[in-house]
Amino acid sequence: MMKQLFDDMAADMEARLLDHYTARLRFTLENARLCQRLYSDTHRLAWCGVCAPFDLLNAMGISSCFVEYLGAVFAAAGSAGQFLEEAEHAGFPTDSCGWHRAVIGAAAKGMMPIPDVMIATSSPCTGGVAAVEHLARTFDCPLYVLAIPPDDSESSVRYLADQIRHMVDFVSAHTGEALDDDRLRYAMHKTNEAREAAIEMFHLAQRIPSPARAADLRNFGITLPLFLGTEAAVEIAQAYRDEFAARSGQGISGVQGERFRLMWLQEAIQFRHPLIKMLEENYQAAIVIEELDDIYWEPIDAEDPYIGLAQRTIAFPFNGQADRRLKHIKKLVQAYKIDGAINPCHWGCRQGTGARGLIGEALKELDVPVINLEVDCADARNFSEGQLRTRLEAFMEVLDSRPGRRSTN
Amino acid sequence: MYYLGVDLGSLSCDAVLLDHEGKIMAASVVPTGARNREAIARATQEVLEMARISEAEIKATISTGYGRDRVEGRLAAVTEITCHARGAHALLPGTQVLIDIGGQDSKAIRMDGGGRVLEFAMNDKCAAGTGRFLEAMARALQVDIGELCELDLGASKNLTLSSMCTVFAESEVVSLIADGVEVNEIVAGLNRAIASRIAALVKRIAPDVAGLKVAMSGGVAHNHGVVRALSSALNTEISVPQQPDTVGALGAALVARERMLP
Amino acid sequence: MTTEKASYIGFTCAYTPLALIDAAGYVPYRILPMGDAPDMAGQLLHDNLCPHVKRVLDRAMDNDLPELAGVVLLNSCDAMRRLADVWPKVRPKDRVILIDLPITSDDPAVSYFGRELSRLADTLFQWGERPVTQETVAASIDRYNQVALLFGSLRERLRNGGVSGGAARLQSLYNRAVTQPWDETFQFLEGVAEETNTPSVGQNGVPIFLFGNVLPDPEAFGLFESCGVRIVDEDLCTGSRVFAPIKMEKSEETLSQLARGILRRPRCARTLLTTQPGVLAAEVLARAAECKARGVIACSAKFCDPYIARIPGVRETLRKAGLPLLHIEGDCTMRSFGQQRTRIQAFTEMLRR
Repeated sequence: MMKQLFDDMAADMEARLLDHYTARLRFTLENARLCQRLYSDTHRLAWCGVCAPFDLLNAMGISSCFVEYLGAVFAAAGSAGQFLEEAEHAGFPTDSCGWHRAVIGAAAKGMMPIPDVMIATSSPCTGGVAAVEHLARTFDCPLYVLAIPPDDSESSVRYLADQIRHMVDFVSAHTGEALDDDRLRYAMHKTNEAREAAIEMFHLAQRIPSPARAADLRNFGITLPLFLGTEAAVEIAQAYRDEFAARSGQGISGVQGERFRLMWLQEAIQFRHPLIKMLEENYQAAIVIEELDDIYWEPIDAEDPYIGLAQRTIAFPFNGQADRRLKHIKKLVQAYKIDGAINPCHWGCRQGTGARGLIGEALKELDVPVINLEVDCADARNFSEGQLRTRLEAFMEVLDSRPGRRSTN
Repeated sequence: MYYLGVDLGSLSCDAVLLDHEGKIMAASVVPTGARNREAIARATQEVLEMARISEAEIKATISTGYGRDRVEGRLAAVTEITCHARGAHALLPGTQVLIDIGGQDSKAIRMDGGGRVLEFAMNDKCAAGTGRFLEAMARALQVDIGELCELDLGASKNLTLSSMCTVFAESEVVSLIADGVEVNEIVAGLNRAIASRIAALVKRIAPDVAGLKVAMSGGVAHNHGVVRALSSALNTEISVPQQPDTVGALGAALVARERMLP
Repeated sequence: MTTEKASYIGFTCAYTPLALIDAAGYVPYRILPMGDAPDMAGQLLHDNLCPHVKRVLDRAMDNDLPELAGVVLLNSCDAMRRLADVWPKVRPKDRVILIDLPITSDDPAVSYFGRELSRLADTLFQWGERPVTQETVAASIDRYNQVALLFGSLRERLRNGGVSGGAARLQSLYNRAVTQPWDETFQFLEGVAEETNTPSVGQNGVPIFLFGNVLPDPEAFGLFESCGVRIVDEDLCTGSRVFAPIKMEKSEETLSQLARGILRRPRCARTLLTTQPGVLAAEVLARAAECKARGVIACSAKFCDPYIARIPGVRETLRKAGLPLLHIEGDCTMRSFGQQRTRIQAFTEMLRR
């Protein structure tokens, strides 16, 4: 059933692309294709934590994703509710992260393809490790753990690089897929090419007014890692770059009459909701960037990639102590000239919501207001539209009344 | 010309009418009940009658409250956060922190010297500490909600309640009465519990609240016991305007006037 | 050492290397989630975060702490890591170090943790007192193993009904041991060891194995006993886990031995065995069988992700073995615990049949 859904989705995207090529469609198509592979029964599969080096797995011909990705796919398709309910019936209280509960519930209902290997990553969160461990038990599947140090000292980088190397051996041993030097080199070159194009694309998004809007960039930064190491990632990033450049050149902004530039933190609400449209139409507020829409890592040395991959993994903004994340948020605020930030305090997310106070303080230093939304990004059943709308509207009223408010009209 | 502010909340629908100078001509508070449109019409009619003017003389209406999108003929809908701040500033100039506890939610608002909102925090996922909570407690104590205000006087035992959930607190209160605990101790305990909850909300936007000018609005501001407990929890004086329930509607009317001024 | 003024180092996690802190000349002081500090932590963190961490932060915000020479926090979970992030805002004068804690106990993880312990040793030395050496660490490990032995005997006596004050008293002894200098701890434990066996409360209670994380209030144990529970063995991080013995292997360098010994002690649910995902379930069953429990009670802090994710697996494993499980989630204090009375009583009534 899921396979059919993704087959139909991919076919639809392909047809629409022929008609009118857009970066967003191309990106959506790649997501559909990944889901097709994940549900195909003909590919080697790895379910992972958020910080696994997906480009390496792509180089080995393994189809993979972080488990939360599937949770988000279910939520976007409007089918997370039944899986969340299943997880609750199985004894997982609603206190924990909905992404994890959704995949645990889907697995309990037999709606998750059985993986060949599982790779837990200690970052960004404890809940993620627990979910992967649970799934490894459910599927009776070999489990590898990537322990990601919080610091980037030489010994920590080496420690992680060694683990990544052993991960390749582990995956090879359990799938029969090898990683030869040529495939590795190719993948790293593709990763770097995509990186270049993404940097250009983000640079364009920083323009005032921004050629970007929420619908373009939603989930981009968070899912790009899944396609790294492949030509697809390069195509997608270049398509966005070219589109933003064209729009910018023609004086077309993502939100017409852009009056406010907003940053959306952590992750998007995955199910359909009217809040972004409300912000765009009622306030001409553009969400010009999501927190993970950024290249925060250096190009990977294709001849000796493990050190570079380890450094990239450690540099993940949500890794380690909050300082790293706060520095990253401040950098984006300044680069994108952000007027205000929206912090969806995702229900059940401890590492994220635990930083709520610190984020508020850090943004106060830059005189940028932030609105905290208490929302479950995965569970449409729990969505209080009226309450969230009130908070966002009040927030926009605050932004609108600030002295010296910049207008792009 | 006149300006109208309508605040359609969960428990009451309030209306305030201002003249062209911004002076309050009339104010009304009617129960919202099950029919929003009727409540809006009644509140509006009452202020028109009190001021002896016709609807046609109203230049602009701003609506606020959870039902703000249901007020027909409005110039715009503005959230109760902005309106309460504006209203509090008009009634108590210099207010820096406004605590609004309504029927089913509570808000803490940090304001600047001009009534502009700087920051706010809301608790709308839980009724603990709000008007509904106090109604449930009054029921459990078998007193009138209006009587609750002074019932804590003389309490000295520092009783603490273990539950803030409205449902569980109600059964805890019934239990305490059955055990023979004096009503004033129970009410004092309730007030302290509410105050501690609200204080946590306030400190999120004003950790330095003890040195600031604080005011309170919303129906619960009529309850002197809660105000006293909150003042103690925050270690600061709390001013309550004469009509704390119409602060939102007043703010809305002021916004209406501001938007129409050249 | 007892004649000098004790220099306390605050800690919060059972994986903390107490022997290393002791070897560096300090007294480890566990900041237990107890006391009357007002609930303020949610403002800085979030309300839906581990109540253990929040109560600890409440104490810090209320200044309900003894004078501390420093604070050692472990990256045991997201909530603890956020605690470390926020601590300097609340107590800017404190010296704080966050030590990373591996989630597995294989050899590379042990080496890594050994390096972290080395970093901790250097930091403790920078903070004053004395440098650690292989000998002083080994001596401290030995001291703590002696305390572990004494607690082990007490648990044995309790199982056979011979500790005056029962499980509640044992918990209060644990609390004293984590907040007082080693010498005083050893002395009072030896004193208790010499007490004649007195039948403890609740000898007719249903034998239960209790596991989970944070439950420091002795009153909670009194509550269990008054509800008909006889705790025959326990695995809590405010109980036996903090004083589990460290196995030493002479062939290794001392800090590595310490790292290995700590990682391989009875686990908190956050520590995995990659070769056996969900191993906690099997371990709980083994412990329950060993102590001949008729039922199992799990006590965990609300919002604790490691336990939330593993309890369903534990329940299933126990059910297959015919052992019922009662899971109690609370705020680590008696406030939430009192409401559980009926459930605990019903559980024991069910087991008696």
